[in-house]
Amino acid sequence: MARYGMALDYKNCINCKACETACKEENGILMGADKHRIWVGTGEIEGQYPLLDLTSNVFHPSQCQHCDNAPCEEVCPTQATYTDENGVVRVNIDQCILCSYCMNACPYDARYVDDRTMTVDKCNFCAETRLARGETTTACQNTCPTKVRIFGDLDDPNSEISEVLRTREHYSLKAHLGTKPKLFYLT
Amino acid sequence: MEVEISRRKFLQGTVAMSVVGSAALSTNLLSSSHGSSAKPGAVSFHNTKTGSDKGHDVATLCEMCVNKCAALARVENGVVTKLNPNPMFPKSKNMLCARGNAGIQALYDPDRLKFPMIRIGEKGEGKFKRVTWDEAYSAILNGTDKFPGLSTILEEEEDNRSSMLFCAGEGMAEHTFKQFYQAFGSANWLNHASICLQTVASGYGVTLGSYPQADLENAEYIIMAGANRAEAIVTPDTMDLFKRTKGRGAKMICIDPRFTNTSAKADKWLAIKPGTDLAFVLALTYVTFTEELQNNEYIETHFNSYEEYKNSVLENKYTPEWAEPITGIKAEDIYTIARDFAAAAPKAVYYPGRRSTFAKNDFQLRRAMAIYQALHGAIDTKGGLIFGSKIPLKAHEGLQPLYEKAKARAVVKSTNKEGEAGYDDCAVVSGGGSWIGWRNRFLDGKMPYKVRGMFCYKHNPMMNMPNTQKTAEMLRKMDLVVTIDTMPSDTVMYADVVLPECTYLERTDPIKTFGGVEPSIAVRNKVIDPMFESKPVMDIMKGLTTKISKPLFEISKKFDEEIQDLIDEDGEEEAYAEFDLTLPFLHTQEELNHHAVADYPGAAEKLHHDGVFYPKQDDYYKQLSANEHQYYPENKKSYSVRGGKPVTPSGKVECVIGSFASKGIDPMPVWRDEYEFSVPAGKFKLLTGRHAQFTQTGSANNAMLIDLMPENFIWINKRVAAEKGIKFADMIEVSSSIGSTRLKAYPTEKIAPDQVFFIHGFGEESEALTWAYKNGGNDNAIIEDTMEPVYGAAAMHETNVSIKKV
Amino acid sequence: MALRELVNKIVPIKEDFSIKSLLGFKKTPLNVLVFFMIMGLLLLLVWGLAQFLMHGHHAYNVTREHPWGLLISGYIFFVGTSTGLCIIASLGHVFGIKEFNHIGKRTTLLAIITLLPGFIIILTEIGHPVTMMIYNILTPGITSAIWWMGTLYGLVLTFIILEFGFALRGNHKWAVRLGIGGLIADVAAFTTLGSVFAYLVARPIANGPFIPLYFLLTAVVSGAFFMFMIYGFKHKLNFPEEVKITLVKLAKILGLLLAVTMFFEWWRIITAIYGDMPERADTMMRIIASTSFQLEVLFAMVIPFVIILVSKGTALKALFFSSIAALISIFLMRNDMVHHAQMMPMQMLKKTEYQLAPTWIEYSPSPVEWAIAVGALGVCFLLYYVAEKAFDLDEDDHH
Ligand code: SF4
Ligand code: SF4
Ligand code: SF4
Ligand code: SF4
Repeated sequence: MARYGMALDYKNCINCKACETACKEENGILMGADKHRIWVGTGEIEGQYPLLDLTSNVFHPSQCQHCDNAPCEEVCPTQATYTDENGVVRVNIDQCILCSYCMNACPYDARYVDDRTMTVDKCNFCAETRLARGETTTACQNTCPTKVRIFGDLDDPNSEISEVLRTREHYSLKAHLGTKPKLFYLT
Repeated sequence: MEVEISRRKFLQGTVAMSVVGSAALSTNLLSSSHGSSAKPGAVSFHNTKTGSDKGHDVATLCEMCVNKCAALARVENGVVTKLNPNPMFPKSKNMLCARGNAGIQALYDPDRLKFPMIRIGEKGEGKFKRVTWDEAYSAILNGTDKFPGLSTILEEEEDNRSSMLFCAGEGMAEHTFKQFYQAFGSANWLNHASICLQTVASGYGVTLGSYPQADLENAEYIIMAGANRAEAIVTPDTMDLFKRTKGRGAKMICIDPRFTNTSAKADKWLAIKPGTDLAFVLALTYVTFTEELQNNEYIETHFNSYEEYKNSVLENKYTPEWAEPITGIKAEDIYTIARDFAAAAPKAVYYPGRRSTFAKNDFQLRRAMAIYQALHGAIDTKGGLIFGSKIPLKAHEGLQPLYEKAKARAVVKSTNKEGEAGYDDCAVVSGGGSWIGWRNRFLDGKMPYKVRGMFCYKHNPMMNMPNTQKTAEMLRKMDLVVTIDTMPSDTVMYADVVLPECTYLERTDPIKTFGGVEPSIAVRNKVIDPMFESKPVMDIMKGLTTKISKPLFEISKKFDEEIQDLIDEDGEEEAYAEFDLTLPFLHTQEELNHHAVADYPGAAEKLHHDGVFYPKQDDYYKQLSANEHQYYPENKKSYSVRGGKPVTPSGKVECVIGSFASKGIDPMPVWRDEYEFSVPAGKFKLLTGRHAQFTQTGSANNAMLIDLMPENFIWINKRVAAEKGIKFADMIEVSSSIGSTRLKAYPTEKIAPDQVFFIHGFGEESEALTWAYKNGGNDNAIIEDTMEPVYGAAAMHETNVSIKKV
Repeated sequence: MALRELVNKIVPIKEDFSIKSLLGFKKTPLNVLVFFMIMGLLLLLVWGLAQFLMHGHHAYNVTREHPWGLLISGYIFFVGTSTGLCIIASLGHVFGIKEFNHIGKRTTLLAIITLLPGFIIILTEIGHPVTMMIYNILTPGITSAIWWMGTLYGLVLTFIILEFGFALRGNHKWAVRLGIGGLIADVAAFTTLGSVFAYLVARPIANGPFIPLYFLLTAVVSGAFFMFMIYGFKHKLNFPEEVKITLVKLAKILGLLLAVTMFFEWWRIITAIYGDMPERADTMMRIIASTSFQLEVLFAMVIPFVIILVSKGTALKALFFSSIAALISIFLMRNDMVHHAQMMPMQMLKKTEYQLAPTWIEYSPSPVEWAIAVGALGVCFLLYYVAEKAFDLDEDDHH
């Protein structure tokens, strides 16, 4: 019993995409442009060469926000999407009917269809692989060169993530939607 | 479950992959039944979800690029399902990049070379016949009706062992192959140096005595010029640096003609004109001298010919105002940088960089950078450039017999320069030689003797050096080409005999010691047994030398009078013992590795289990958090090992190297007008470079990486593109004086209006590569073979190109 | 014939109904044309279903960013029309507008036969229909609009089939009771379908009470258009007096609803644009700039409204033709609505090195999606034809 979350020191990110490959290899994710649980977004640079706006070029690592108040879970007609005992939002593929409602309801584009099972898939904090083996890091966190991610139990006041969130400023994506993400971007 | 997909579909990113056991990999690729067209209609590749029980981990080292990061390979039922970072290794600090993760795809690449093959078609046609290892070795020795073997060649060349060229790409087993070269007795060795680090390494080497590392973990001011650590990952630099940029400890000034991912992380990005960094450094140096910013104490004890250099810089008036029009960097920026750098010193780094030669003046640039750094005393200090320490390994004996008839390296002494010791294509011949110099000499018929064949290990000259057409011609002209590789690369297509090496996950490689602030020894342990009929190069060498050693000795006996004398003196058996090519390969790699660390109790076991060893490791190594590990306590780190003293023979920083003058090289860095950047109207300077999800041609066929970046695009300035009516993804033909290539357009403001850029390594022509075949543009098809004058290294950014929408 | 008995138990079948009677239509050119049209539509559907069975969702052009496509819209079109017809059918018996009494049975039937193709479509839209049946019951997601919508439509179908059966048997008391039940369930179901979109908090263009109410309004509008089409066709534009009176009345109601719909649209547009709120104003600007939206307003609202206004509802022939155009427009309008909700990407950054930053998400249905959505119309027509032969649809006016 835990309530897992992730803090992202996103300014460390160099857009190397190690996290994306690690996720695909760990969790056996399909190849293909829109088949991914995790991604790093970048904006096109603003300004004219050589007067470019350095701040317009962010590297923004992202994945499912594991919303405490998850719209995807709320809209699922068969409870295929559920929050497990560790606060991880997951999909039970036996129950998923591929109505795609959750894909539309997720404000973060975190979900996609796995072409093998024809059910919806998303980041599950490596719950079926690493966490199931008792490991305490996710594949994306572990492999990252600049250690963007800190994964841990938000309910444990002594965990590294709790400590970081107490001491460093952070924000959540689309917080105004009330989804209560458990991904925190450290500033 | 297995899903077979077509290449086209895959590239559209619509369909996907499969989870297949290794046995399911198609086994008929490139075999004779496929004839010239080895391209499979369908491919499958490996992507398995890891299991939920504790797996079995093998400690190994990554070989997806040159960094050798430590990995733990998870093996489930004989299948490698995941590569994880090995946290124990101080160099890679618990990380594995995208390519490192994608190593599994290199292992299970359906296009891999699976069997020994010999050529049955025309050279370069890619038509091969599958043979046994023994047949392949025999073909190398005796040839076939299509090509001559070693015995014919050596017979005809009267035992001139140098009539065979040996070339190798970088890698931990390069050493093994090199031992074969040494035992064989040729003088012609070419490695990647002249198309890689030559001028950087040597520039620092002659100036400071060694190519130093940068302590980016502690530096407070960093000039990152022409180095792209976010995209061309170097460990531990990349990890150390970007945790501290953007106002978090290290101020970084990025100097690059392109806006790279590194520029994006900089506090300031200065767009410099390509090839003018030397003027920038000289101007910085000028400010240092005029404003007395240098560390006089350090200079007094550690500099040679300081005054001479100072006078040169001052007399030549390398002012920031002078540099401004040359570099395109504002004078005031240069003043500020010089002052800030000095203020931060010794915790200041002018980053040495780690890349190919771009401009002809690169060697002088590196010298100027080294001197500039040293002027601030930021050498061998925490936060500056460091020499670090290294844990010694026990060497093992090789075999380097002397063949009387073996000629010296095929170089030609200069005839057109006045009475000095230079060569006609470069001033200094380094150990790795000048690849394009050698190749062009070969093609121009300027060899002092005939070179008839080559052994090529883990090396892709077709793709890796400027002017692909010339390389093809050279390969076509070679009587015997033997390639040892894992993939059917463009070069392999020109081979007469193809020997399939296993990938890095299927072999144990020579142990290696890694120097630095936190030195350690690491090893690449075999993860799974070699697939198909592939073998580690050690075994290949063993098999090959067993086959050829005696027969070649027989040839030597005929021509080599010294051998004849030796036999007369000691008898044949003892004489042969000195020429027995099999000797270096008698032991297994594991045995050799054991021997190498025999001085350290417990090291061999530790290396076997953890992959990493250093003395007191158990006391020092600590996990600090989920992400961070301590390797050495702060006071045990090798920041300063020589009290700042350079490693040069004189123990001083060498500002002026008198001996260069006689070779037509500037003895100290000066600017010359011909270095100025210019592009004819309507043309563009072609820049090339690296990418974090792609390691040159070596990863061009990696399914996972191609998934991340399906092809390379050419960067064209947005405004220029708009003028020319070029839109995103339009097909562009890029041509230079030597050829043309095609790829899609990426209009962007990240590049200057008179330059274009694309990533190196795409656009292979080997049909046996499902994903890489004709995918994207090949820069070396259009980069002219310009050489830098000192080492004959290929200067990659000296080509002007024109572009047109097609 | 077991099926016949089964059906007969619920809804009485005419004595003289047989396969032979089915094929015994007069071979006039129009009838033959209609025959081939229905066959063509059915073939299209069969092909589409075959593709679906072979390739599943791969046969569709839906994507990660645009997971709902033409099939959802086709579904909305049919079930919406059905809801409209159900409401119109109840005008007589439930609401006591006596001009509508005599069309009750036929309209109820029309509601059934438009509902069924909707169900066919949604079964091909749901990736795993069987799993759906199981887990809708085992693990109901009661916070899910789709769960309620599905459950309510199950109820609707039961209600109106029974209602139809009682009506045919002349059991008016139960017909009316079930009619009321059906009406409530149907209105609830279709507005719940609207709420599927309305609940999408992340999509300001869809979020809020507009879509459910709009669904309710346009359901009646599309039902009315459907009536005009069917009656026009049935009477070959030669309306008997009794029918004429009903249709003129219906036209007037339609006119009123169209006026309200247009006001609805107007205020929705203005409030969306006003204040320039990101993701709402820009999406709306793009919507009103699109041709399909303009055509939909013109053909489904403005033209029929003008015809009704000018003729005071009596230009039934013009209305017949305009109804066909209006139904096509409503079909597109449903598609537009589904597309508009998904047009704005939820993630605006580039994810790979060489791509343009995401802008508006495009979607155009695949041939298979078209085949299923349009082919389902064949089922609708076929069922109507069979029902005409099989059931006694004309009201005996004994009350
Ligand atoms: S691995 Fe880390 S640095 Fe690389 S892209 Fe992912 S988050 Fe960014
Ligand atoms: S980010 Fe999306 S998929 Fe993840 S919990 Fe939130 S709504 Fe669900
Ligand atoms: S697609 Fe699957 S997980 Fe998503 S809402 Fe529908 S049933 Fe639930
Ligand atoms: S940097 Fe990446 S590719 Fe290179 S050795 Fe390390 S993990 Fe492998």
